[in-house]
Amino acid sequence: MKNKKYIQGLGIIVMLLFLTSCQDWLDIEEPDHKLVSSEVFDTEETAKAAMQGIYNQLYQAGFSAGWLGSTTVLGGLSSDNLELINTTTLDLLQFQQHNLQPDNPYNETLWGSAYNMIYMVNSLLDGLENSTKITPETAQRLEGEAKFVRAFTYFYLRNLYGEVPLVLTTDYEHNATIEVSSTTAIEEQILADLVVATSQLGGSYLTGERTQINAYTAKALLARVHLYLENWELAEQYSAEVIAASGTYSLSTDLNEVFLANSQEAIWQLSPLGAGTTTTHTNEGSVFIINPILPSLSYVKLSEDLVNSMETQDLRKINWIGYHEGLGVHHAYKYKIQNATGEAAEYSMVLRLAEQYLIRSEARIRQNNLTGGIADLDQIKARAGLPLLSVSNPGISQEALLEELFIERRKELFTEWGHRWLDLKRTDRAQGALAPVSPDWEATDKKYPIPAEELLSNPNLYQNPGY
Amino acid sequence: MKFSYRQHLLRATLFFLGVFPLSGFCQQIIKGQVTGPQDLPIPGVNIQILGTQRGTTSNFEGEYQVVARPQDILMFTYMGYAQQKIAVGEQTQINIQLQENENSLGDLVINAGYYQVKDRERTGNIAKITAEEIELQPVVSPLQALQGRMAGVEISSGTDTPGAAPTIRIRGQNSLRTEGNYPLYIIDGVPINSTPVESNTSLSFAGIDPLNTMNLSNIESIEVLKDADATAIYGSRGANGVILITTKKGEGQKGIQARLYSGISTVPNKLDLLNTQQYLKVRRQAFNNDRVEPDEFNAYDLLLWDQTRETDWQEEFLGGTANITDVNISAQGGNDRTHFRLNGAFHQQGTIYPADLQYQKITGGAHLDHRSKDEKFQLGLAINYGVDQNELLGDGVDFNTNAFTLSPNAPALYLEDGSLNWEEWGEAGLNNPLEGIFNTSTTTTHNLITSLNLSYEIAEGLEVKTNFGFTDFNSDEVVQMPQRSYNPAGMPLHRSLNTQSQRQSWIIEPQLNYQHQWGKLNLNALVGSTLQENQYDTFSVQGENYVAEALIGNLGAAESLINGVARNTQYRYQAVFARLGLDWDQKYYLNLTGRRDGSSRFAQGNRFANFGAIGAAWIFTEAAFFEENMEWLSFGKFRGSYGTTGSDQIPDYGYLDAYEATQGPGGLYPTALANPQYSWEVNKKGEIALQLGFLKDRISLGASAYRNRSSNQLVGYPLPATTGFNSVQANLAATVENRGWEVEFSSDNIRKGNFRWQTSFNISFPKNELIRYPGLEQSPYANTYREGHPLNIALLYEYTGIDPETGYYSLKDQNEDGVLNQEDQVVIQDRTREYFGGINNSLSYKGISLQFLVQFVKQEGSFTSLFNSGFPENQLQEFSSTSATDHQISQTPEASLAYSRVVESDLVIEDASFIRLKTLNLSYSLPADWISPLGINQAKFFMTGQNLWTLTDYRGMDPDTPIGGLAFSGLRTFTTGLQVNF
Repeated sequence: MKNKKYIQGLGIIVMLLFLTSCQDWLDIEEPDHKLVSSEVFDTEETAKAAMQGIYNQLYQAGFSAGWLGSTTVLGGLSSDNLELINTTTLDLLQFQQHNLQPDNPYNETLWGSAYNMIYMVNSLLDGLENSTKITPETAQRLEGEAKFVRAFTYFYLRNLYGEVPLVLTTDYEHNATIEVSSTTAIEEQILADLVVATSQLGGSYLTGERTQINAYTAKALLARVHLYLENWELAEQYSAEVIAASGTYSLSTDLNEVFLANSQEAIWQLSPLGAGTTTTHTNEGSVFIINPILPSLSYVKLSEDLVNSMETQDLRKINWIGYHEGLGVHHAYKYKIQNATGEAAEYSMVLRLAEQYLIRSEARIRQNNLTGGIADLDQIKARAGLPLLSVSNPGISQEALLEELFIERRKELFTEWGHRWLDLKRTDRAQGALAPVSPDWEATDKKYPIPAEELLSNPNLYQNPGY
Repeated sequence: MKFSYRQHLLRATLFFLGVFPLSGFCQQIIKGQVTGPQDLPIPGVNIQILGTQRGTTSNFEGEYQVVARPQDILMFTYMGYAQQKIAVGEQTQINIQLQENENSLGDLVINAGYYQVKDRERTGNIAKITAEEIELQPVVSPLQALQGRMAGVEISSGTDTPGAAPTIRIRGQNSLRTEGNYPLYIIDGVPINSTPVESNTSLSFAGIDPLNTMNLSNIESIEVLKDADATAIYGSRGANGVILITTKKGEGQKGIQARLYSGISTVPNKLDLLNTQQYLKVRRQAFNNDRVEPDEFNAYDLLLWDQTRETDWQEEFLGGTANITDVNISAQGGNDRTHFRLNGAFHQQGTIYPADLQYQKITGGAHLDHRSKDEKFQLGLAINYGVDQNELLGDGVDFNTNAFTLSPNAPALYLEDGSLNWEEWGEAGLNNPLEGIFNTSTTTTHNLITSLNLSYEIAEGLEVKTNFGFTDFNSDEVVQMPQRSYNPAGMPLHRSLNTQSQRQSWIIEPQLNYQHQWGKLNLNALVGSTLQENQYDTFSVQGENYVAEALIGNLGAAESLINGVARNTQYRYQAVFARLGLDWDQKYYLNLTGRRDGSSRFAQGNRFANFGAIGAAWIFTEAAFFEENMEWLSFGKFRGSYGTTGSDQIPDYGYLDAYEATQGPGGLYPTALANPQYSWEVNKKGEIALQLGFLKDRISLGASAYRNRSSNQLVGYPLPATTGFNSVQANLAATVENRGWEVEFSSDNIRKGNFRWQTSFNISFPKNELIRYPGLEQSPYANTYREGHPLNIALLYEYTGIDPETGYYSLKDQNEDGVLNQEDQVVIQDRTREYFGGINNSLSYKGISLQFLVQFVKQEGSFTSLFNSGFPENQLQEFSSTSATDHQISQTPEASLAYSRVVESDLVIEDASFIRLKTLNLSYSLPADWISPLGINQAKFFMTGQNLWTLTDYRGMDPDTPIGGLAFSGLRTFTTGLQVNF
């Protein structure tokens, strides 16, 4: 009767297996390389890692990475600062010649990477909101940093495209058919987010690295946003607060030290470690410097118009502009390192003190405080080794002084974050500056087109005029 | 009558409840011997007690022993012999002589996976090939051995490198995602992950075939399940067909078999390129035409390089001979209740390339079968283990392209000390084209596949059965990248790329099988369930800056480790399945199969789905009319099936809203939009078929027509970027249809004395069509697919001839917007095979046998290489003179642009149909009376050839890889060997 055992054994197995056909079996554990969103916000450590992820991805995202598709390069090409060395890269040429097509791949990445960044922020904000396990302190800090990034991203979307969809949730079904918001609504959101950031963040760099957002970072951007909104008083107030933090920020006396990692002038920088490779140079260093031996790797050069606008004794011309003998062209040389491994010596600069002086100067001039305006402007001129206005022309008119300021902005901030392009647009100088050099220029070129793919997949979006 | 059926029904119910008392009385032992026509004993004859699962097989002497009751009927079956049924009655000794059957196909038993069915009685479409067609083929992957042998099964190996995963499509491509088209592989009842293993070597494109470590000599049969009736019992995994591989058991002849073969492989084809003199003439002409002064930068081949040097790069790179050696030993034995089989094999294959690379595999296996004394309990254990080591070139070194494009007067690639010649190439401003040549990799794979089957007949006709399976697949790859592989000017470091992957799975499938006969009604019922778990782990890392070349790969010796990636994924699967097979009087057949599947690849709420099929067959020749009036028609069957299968071949965890680590340190970020809603792809399959046998089934003909529609396609649904991403994984109402028909024919042409000639033929006419795809224009497939066309298409420009002004190729600007872009690529070339098949002939006379398979394919391909006249690249002879093609020899940017576009035009469409002598096998068995005194049962010499001859108009290397023209897959291989059975 040995067989009875077989029967029993098999019978038991069969019964068990038929009975255990329950749904629980399919609930598998999560893999090691993924963390379910809700669990990310179960511990402080992982919640902070989500914010670090945003910092890292800012260095990967097209619009902010500083590479060819970044606001820095594309905005530079659209302005009168940057030109292509070789006109065969047609997709980039469209930016320079102001005949941008809606299906331009750089434009698509610019837009898409910005909204991807906004998704990351919204996802983090969702997670914080639904989490009960993060201390209020940490939650407030992370919220402040994340909202800063959202405001920062919308600042560029608004200023590059005009009216854009204001996405504040992660619900893709809603966001897939979203309509554009008015520029006012976007600006209000930017200000609201920045106010949260200023109130919820402290004034110090917790890690000692200027890659983390703090209250001054938020104030610096607030100063810029108010300047763009022509709220002169507030622009002056916020920039003054940043400038007043002289224990933390001061202008580097040596121009070659401005873009070093954690330089005294830096308010916010992005670390090239965000790319996750062994290379530690910045993308700006890589994209702008023209290698003496391998010039064929470079795409862009400085316009002769920019170079010629600088006096010979201008230290910025000497220190921040390089020349390639073989091609006979000038290139930006703010970042000194084109290729590096090992410790990162330079970080990608996003906000720095010099801009705050220029903001306060402009805000003061607009409020007819010419002496104050000249004083701030002279800070920049002094460092560039140029004669001071307070000495050479203290009686300058408001209008002439403003003109002087914009020229100074161009010379100081070239090849940084499309400053020149946005300045030309916000001060209505684009027509005057670009029409003579760009035959295809039209007034509608001030706004980039909404990418063609977006219009195809979202019936509620409409193309900007002129495209 | 009615009453009695009800009683049976009651009894059946009681059976299932397990309360019916066991029946079994007056059992007696029956002994006997089975012999063939010349009174020779036949081993391995299947002896079954009719209406039960019980039975035995005859031993080497043809003897058998079985326990039966007087009212039982014994059924003797053996392939190639007529089935016989004998009532037991009072006999205890039943000797029987079997007659050779002219209708051998009728008794062929087909493995349908969970059950077996006779070929005659099957309601579904299952193709089978057996050991003798596979075992002598000198290939690494068993699937390559199927080429040309089965209707509806399209296999292309894609590359000449041993170990690469071939592409296999059973009745066409069903899923829009190319990675969603793998069939289900089942080895001895255990499912194997059919996805190729990732590799960073020259196999990075194809991947490594997970079946490499199977021993071809150890395969008993391969069955391919095609239609709904056959595949629906595999439910969610059956959409792309099922390939069942059964390994050899220890039944039949006892003894030891040893086999050895060895041989060589070469590249079967060579392209006719320019020699140095012709090449230089064309180059000079280009400078003349372009009015450009040659200098050392643009005309290094004219000014720097030796004008008389001539290298046949094809010979240099592809002219080598690869050796093949294969040794196989197996032993089997046991008694009438227990059989075992042990096997071990070694296979080695070299390379045709000028590099010392070997593919080696060692396999071992054991098979054990046991039956209890009362025949009720059965056990089967199969263990297959294989280790292979594949030495490959690193990714990126391309002998195949260089062999054709290098200038014939190019300088030597190597210096005398064996290092790469950087200097001479550098003078021309070029990198040595073999940069990376010393990057070699070693991929070692261990693969264990085990299965255990237990069954017990708890009551007459009722059997409980459980299959257990476990698989463990480990692959370890190290790509070594030494400094000397790279141009020293770039200051290279010693580097390595290490990848490990492990796939583990286990499965349990308990089943209950019931068989009963009520008068003319015969019933086969099966219920079962499946629990399966797969674990997949990968780890890869790059090591940089090793101190010495010898240490490369040893991660401990690397100065830094970068880009480490570790992934662990788990997959669980559960199912219940059932089959009900009915037949009335062996005339009408009905087969119902179904499965309810649950998969962890979907979110809660979408995890379960039902699949099922109905199949029916009518053997109309059983009707009296045919038997009396149409004797020549010995067999005729209509059959048809319809049902649904599914596919869950999507990445694990895809539905999870999850964060992953950023590339930068210490960060987490969301990588995709999560859609917990998505669900199975559904494939509805329908088929009708006719099977005929003529002249006592000496000729048999089968034709089937099918239509499969795959819908609910799982694709990345396009989204505006405002959602944060460009797409979300979702089921889309896109439908792909595969339809077509297949014909299989076999004939026993001559059977006279010792001479026998058999022919079999198969042909398939597949059609593939993307019926609809809403939103195709915005999808990632916008420039890949077109509605109303097959999936395998090329979108091309319309070639308008040579521009008379410039002499360059010109194309039509369809929308006349002045720009040539994707909108102008309106010519749609169908690259699906129009038809394909094979003809196999077997001839034997006494000890000599000859078998050859001719494969044929009708298709269109493209030839996009070697006519770039004027550039410093070699080209085909036929383009050498301007008059031949009338196009301007030039290397201006405009000429270059025109060329780069014309290779995307309809000019390059080319007929790539071919007829190929795929395999040829000649063998001679020494007469038995010579060798039996030596204790040898059989001694056979054999010769095998592969890809011996190809007839084609295609200008490229190999019409089996008909795109581009420079790739090739089928090497020409000759082997000779000896097989001895003791």
